[in-house]
Amino acid sequence: MSKYTEDDLREELKTKEYEYGFYTDIESETFAKGLNEDVVRAISKKKNEPEWMTEWRLEAFRVWEKMEEPDWANVKYPKPNFQEIAYYSAPKKKPKLNSLDEVDPDLLETFKKLGISLDEQKKLANVAVDIVMDSVSVATTFKETLAEKGIIFMPISEAIQEHPELVKKYLGTVVPTTDNFYAALNSAVFSDGSFCYIPKGVRCPMELSTYFRINEGGTGQFERTLVVADKGSYVSYLEGCTAPQRDENQLHAAVVELIAMDDAEIKYSTVQNWFPGDANGKGGVFNFVTKRGLCETNAKISWTQVETGSAVTWKYPSCVLKGNNSVGEFYSIAVTNNYQQADTGTKMIHLGKNTKSTIISKGISAGKSQNSYRGLVQINSRAENARNFSQCDSLLMGNECGAHTFPYIEVKNKSAQVEHEATTSKIGEDQLFYCNQRGIDTEKAIALIVNGFSKEVLNKLPMEFAVEAQKLLEISLEGSVG
Amino acid sequence: MTEERIMELKEKIVSSYVAFENEMDINSDIHDIRSEAFHNFEKLGFPTKKLEAWKYTSLNNVLKNDYSIFANKDNTVEFADVKKYFIHDIDTYKIVFIDGKYSSFLSDTTHDGKDICLLSAAFSKSKYKVVVENYFNKIAKQDNMTSLNTAFANEGAYIYIPRNVEVEKPIQIINFTTGSEAATMVQPRNLIVVEQNAHVQIIERHQSLTENAVLTNAVTEIFAAKDATVDYYKIQNDDDNASLVDNTYIEQKSNSVVSVHTFSFGGNITRNNLNFYQRGEHIDSILKGITIIEGKQHVDHHTLVHHIEPNCESHQDYKGIYNERSTGVFNGKVIVEKEAQKTNAYQQNNNVLISDKATINAKPQLEIFADDVKCSHGCTIGQLDDDALFYMQQRGIPKKEGKALLMYAFANTVLESVKIPEVKQRITKLIATKLGVNIGFDL
Amino acid sequence: MLKIKNLHASIEDKEILKGINLEVKAGEVHAIMGPNGAGKSTMASVIAGKEEYEVTEGIIELSGEDISELAPEERAHNGVFLSFQYPVEIPGVSVTNFIKTAINETRKAKGLEDMPAKDMLKMIREKSELLEIDRKFLSRSLNEGFSGGEKKRNEIFQMAMLEPKLAILDETDSGLDIDALRIVANGVNKLKSKDNAVIVITHYQRLLDYIVPDFVHVLHDGKIVKTGDASLALELEEKGYDWIKNELV
Repeated sequence: MSKYTEDDLREELKTKEYEYGFYTDIESETFAKGLNEDVVRAISKKKNEPEWMTEWRLEAFRVWEKMEEPDWANVKYPKPNFQEIAYYSAPKKKPKLNSLDEVDPDLLETFKKLGISLDEQKKLANVAVDIVMDSVSVATTFKETLAEKGIIFMPISEAIQEHPELVKKYLGTVVPTTDNFYAALNSAVFSDGSFCYIPKGVRCPMELSTYFRINEGGTGQFERTLVVADKGSYVSYLEGCTAPQRDENQLHAAVVELIAMDDAEIKYSTVQNWFPGDANGKGGVFNFVTKRGLCETNAKISWTQVETGSAVTWKYPSCVLKGNNSVGEFYSIAVTNNYQQADTGTKMIHLGKNTKSTIISKGISAGKSQNSYRGLVQINSRAENARNFSQCDSLLMGNECGAHTFPYIEVKNKSAQVEHEATTSKIGEDQLFYCNQRGIDTEKAIALIVNGFSKEVLNKLPMEFAVEAQKLLEISLEGSVG
Repeated sequence: MTEERIMELKEKIVSSYVAFENEMDINSDIHDIRSEAFHNFEKLGFPTKKLEAWKYTSLNNVLKNDYSIFANKDNTVEFADVKKYFIHDIDTYKIVFIDGKYSSFLSDTTHDGKDICLLSAAFSKSKYKVVVENYFNKIAKQDNMTSLNTAFANEGAYIYIPRNVEVEKPIQIINFTTGSEAATMVQPRNLIVVEQNAHVQIIERHQSLTENAVLTNAVTEIFAAKDATVDYYKIQNDDDNASLVDNTYIEQKSNSVVSVHTFSFGGNITRNNLNFYQRGEHIDSILKGITIIEGKQHVDHHTLVHHIEPNCESHQDYKGIYNERSTGVFNGKVIVEKEAQKTNAYQQNNNVLISDKATINAKPQLEIFADDVKCSHGCTIGQLDDDALFYMQQRGIPKKEGKALLMYAFANTVLESVKIPEVKQRITKLIATKLGVNIGFDL
Repeated sequence: MLKIKNLHASIEDKEILKGINLEVKAGEVHAIMGPNGAGKSTMASVIAGKEEYEVTEGIIELSGEDISELAPEERAHNGVFLSFQYPVEIPGVSVTNFIKTAINETRKAKGLEDMPAKDMLKMIREKSELLEIDRKFLSRSLNEGFSGGEKKRNEIFQMAMLEPKLAILDETDSGLDIDALRIVANGVNKLKSKDNAVIVITHYQRLLDYIVPDFVHVLHDGKIVKTGDASLALELEEKGYDWIKNELV
């Protein structure tokens, strides 16, 4: 792997094909490729984990070995060779730091390039950030401020050491190790991620944020996020993802578990911008993610995602509405361009009475990409008075891409009210002419119309993220209409 | 246990096929098609819930029966006993089968300027050879149940309408099963070719006359040439022990209009596979259905509209009312190929559950590869409007009748496009019966 | 300001404009009248540069510069404003956001910085008051669910914001009740100056009671067949278009 020079970088940024495609030259410690029980043990040992954790991983590994990679999604890709991936990669100078001044300057430079200047964010946005680079958490800011409120926000590897009782109690309760192929793999090999606990009745005073980045080549990223909002608490959580440009495909198989106890609310926002591969479909991240939240009585979980990256996306952030009166929401924008493929959507499982769910999905396909919405709304027989509203809109740009909608609706209770609507449209010639007439050029007009199309979802994002997401939409679609 | 019995049934089918083949003229052109289909079925077996297409419908309970594959004797029925199953208040052509065999007594066919007769005749007579060669099994899928039908394809309706012919009265295709066996399997096969600018109306019904188990696995291929118009009505109100897998394939050429209305009010398990392929421009495909079921009945509408060429339309409207422990499935797929610009595809599926034990599973799908199209689907599951009900009660309409009125109004959008008044009346009456009221719905 | 010479334009090989000659000077108001299908809206679209129309002959000059090869947005940057007969809907894009983008893009084309937010807000406030537009209206999606009157008022609001050299009002009066018509016309009159010009395309004389034209042109079958002063509009109203048609025969 030849290193990028500054000139390369400048050139790359100029072409704007993938704005975050640089490789940080930080010395890393990477395990040899391949996966077996010894590797799982070694990861666990490396992280100095207690015995129960090692066993938990091994159990997941044994299940995973017997599983087959799913192929029902509407995506086509060469199946990764799971023995050709290094399952652990960490910056060698492991920074366990209290202040950012101590962080490796190269790393700080990386964050600057990512557009997350930690200093500034600290001051302006009041966001606490945990950064996971190649699966290892490298910086958590604002830890002390949060600690005053009793909020725990730290790398999950530390949480396993410092709060084993909490991790043990909740890890794998929403997404069991046996849930699916990628979840099992993640359970066996995850090296880090974020852990967050909001105590009873506490309203988290700032947005919590994790930034994920795959840096090292030939590695997979397997992070694990666990957010527990105790009774009556509130937290808004942001997650951003980038990866450098590489020719080979990189694997990202994450698991996110959310637990919203009685009267609690979790808002989880993602801006996903993994490297999507180049204009010819070469390289790019395979993004196979399992995200699920559990709502107890009166609880609410809201997923918002803006997906512009990855070569292949397989992702269905879901809500299990177990408690009465609980609410699940899913707001999504998925943009695919060039040869990207996305199969994404949500599952809303209504178990409790008076449960409510809303699904707003906006798919934008351009280039030769395929964009699928796949969703399940399930109203179980005891879920009296359940309500669901789903809206899936697709926007097609050009004539070589595809937009697909696969909603599954399963209703076993007569008091249910379920509404599903889907539309497909294109950007109208008359809309473009109207914008042109008012002095707005076509490229800008498309950005404007796409933004309008996506507005219901963009509005759900926290301010700082919304701006970034809007920019991403524009960049992702640049040059998609001739 | 169930699996073993299904295996036994499959074996029985295999041995029956050998016997069947022996009876048939081995030199027949059809032989190769049957033989290939048979091997296909042998390989695929019966569908299971593991197949995405059968995710919500299991045939296991139906396939447990020890079906006789061929009726072992010619059974007859009296017209008086079955008159009620016909649309009898108007003159029609009739092609009637009893236990899979043609009943000349109940039928009224013609060769006068058009052919409304039997597939077995078309297979055996040289004057039909060209049509059979050009159309038979050309659009039927190679899936499990269609292959099984094709393997045994021999009898059913054969309808050929030449250019510019408007058939003056509707055609009824009725399949009776008498239950002379403990369990009967019938596999009607219909071939319908409607040439340029021709026009035909067809009413189809499958009817079991006893409580013995029946499994009908029907395949109908319909070809509508340029400017042709076909109106097809499927009336499904069978006995509780009769199950139906209906596979209908329709190919349309430019400017043709084909509508299929499916009225599902009865039967054990009813699975309607309705497939439209648009091969031409300015085509209109209309798929409509009303399902009103109760008990443990199960109705599964599985539709496909394949938009292959530009400037075409499709309209789907399915309404379902589910009582008691019944289950409804709607699986509607619209594919718009990238050449199919300016496609307008609409799909609507609305459901009402009126019992705590009823279930509805819906999977409306869009697969779109062209950008200049208007496609939408809507799917709702809800209840009757309580305010409207109260309003009616306040004006003196009893609750039961009020509910029935609301349900009728709910389903009515589908009835509006029925072009034969007698069919409309019949369906209206059936709906009233289903809803347990004795009122005329003059909305 | 605007000079059109021997303008021919066609759509899908069908000739709609068959040799238009028109000169509009700064400070003037011209009305284009004519029966349905005469080519009035086509003329407006061709001046604005709609790509479906092919200009087969002739030139369009704005302030001495030939604009007939320019993209629609470049014409807009040069000061051409078309008030659409049927303004399109753009879901999710608010009126404010849209006009902000339009103004800043135009400024960018002229090498100017974005308009400061404060100035923008002030201008929006002024112009919306001028057109009696409710502030809530400005945060709604562009033209989505607007009534006919609201759409037209929104067009004139945008005109006020963009301060064009040449405004073409294509059937701005259609679908307006008398109150809305008065508001729209007042708006136009207040925006009129010695430095800009207005072309009013209309089927009826009604609007011309409020926006008094210096010249009235009658368009028939792709050509201007008669030109006169404001009294011509009244004459047309009285005698109908058949009068012109008969006169031509």
